[in-house]
Amino acid sequence: MPQTTIYVAPRLGGAHGSPPPAVDTDGLARLFGRSAALAGVSLRIEAGRTVALLGPNGAGKTTLLRILATAIRPSFGGLFIDGVDALRHPEIIRTRVAYLSHASGMYDDLTAFENLRFAATMLGWSGAEVATVAERAIAEVGLAPVADDRVGSFSAGMRKRLALARLLVARPSLVLLDEPHAALDEDGMALVDRLLGLWHEFGITVVVASHQADRVVRAADATVRLHGGLVAEVSGSGVRAGALAPVIPSYATSLGTSR
Amino acid sequence: MNALRRNATIALAIARKDALAELRGRQAVGSTIFFAALVLLLFGFALGPDSRRLAEAAPGLLWLAIVFGGLLTVARLHQLEADDGALEQLALYPVDRRAVYAGKALAGAGAMLLLGGLLLPVVAILYGVPLGAAWLPLVVTVILGSLGFAAVGTAYAGLTVRMRAREVMLPLLMLPIVAPLLLAAVKATVAAVAGDPFGELGAWLQLLAGFDIVMLIAGAATYGFLLED
Repeated sequence: MPQTTIYVAPRLGGAHGSPPPAVDTDGLARLFGRSAALAGVSLRIEAGRTVALLGPNGAGKTTLLRILATAIRPSFGGLFIDGVDALRHPEIIRTRVAYLSHASGMYDDLTAFENLRFAATMLGWSGAEVATVAERAIAEVGLAPVADDRVGSFSAGMRKRLALARLLVARPSLVLLDEPHAALDEDGMALVDRLLGLWHEFGITVVVASHQADRVVRAADATVRLHGGLVAEVSGSGVRAGALAPVIPSYATSLGTSR
Repeated sequence: MNALRRNATIALAIARKDALAELRGRQAVGSTIFFAALVLLLFGFALGPDSRRLAEAAPGLLWLAIVFGGLLTVARLHQLEADDGALEQLALYPVDRRAVYAGKALAGAGAMLLLGGLLLPVVAILYGVPLGAAWLPLVVTVILGSLGFAAVGTAYAGLTVRMRAREVMLPLLMLPIVAPLLLAAVKATVAAVAGDPFGELGAWLQLLAGFDIVMLIAGAATYGFLLED
């Protein structure tokens, strides 16, 4: 794993000497054409917390997670992860963040093991470690019997399990999960619950968006509810929200298409 | 040195992954080779049965077939990244983007080299061109031509893969850029087949090599921006 040397002091840190927040967003907004998917989200999440991100369809959960993962850039606002400016140094953030999206990100013509071995190489493992961590992660998610089958023959649930295995290959300080329970059977959902517990135990910060509210709230220290691209409600410990008003109210209103 | 070794590992892993996907998707590889061979056959029909005319046109037709087949190849190598979110995942790996570019370009060059190697004997048989004595300069020409085409094609395929009209945009953007490569490759092939009577083969190969170096540097420098949102 490449070691990072750049460290930006926390802009909104707590007391002197305390670690920076794992996630610190300042008025994050994202427009897609004329539509504002996020209208100004200011959140501060302490390191090691598990946070449930809830809200109806179109609330902005996926957009927020994709911005945190550096998959897309915000149209406005700032983002610091572990005190590092994510907009200026996304390459550093990518060494620290593991992201489970709706898509599996796997290659159909490769086997499950080959996909994981590729991911392990890309994530910084080398030599004999590559095969070992790939095998271990596949076994952990219950796909060992089909490790040598091509992913093209996998069901949606098996793909989700494989994508979860990729998270286990990574060595993140922040895990972002977008609908991790979707497409999984009861065993698979229990696996996600177990992983949430493990990450919490190891002090890894987790932000999880899910429509399985009961399951994620049970595992979470705090709950953030989004609505219309804004933070509507925060409860629990380890999370603070800034102003709940949109940072681009006049713009979004003038477009009349904010969601 | 460690960074260099890490980048080489990443590039080889990407090239290996693409090669595996290409070889296992046999329909795609087979249809590209068949398409390129068909192009050669149809050009032969269009030019008529005059064997001298066919032999004269053979180098140009060979490279047109390689270019058409190459367009399909570089597009497909990026299309497999677009399936099920693989491109976004590739962009999120904490790796040097130049290594990603090098891996994709290496896979593209390898696939085109295979295509060129298979089309050479097809040209020899269809157009009655004696290639036996010129095999070494021809192989060098195909290697340099494939590398240059893959260098340009990888960058432009990365640019167009998210576009809706990518099938049209890729050749539209790319073909003007590879025109000098096509010219140099055809001239080098003509010189190689004729036994290099005017001693110009070396100059054309140098031009090809220069084109490759410039395009590889330009591609490596810009590819990272193409991966970003």
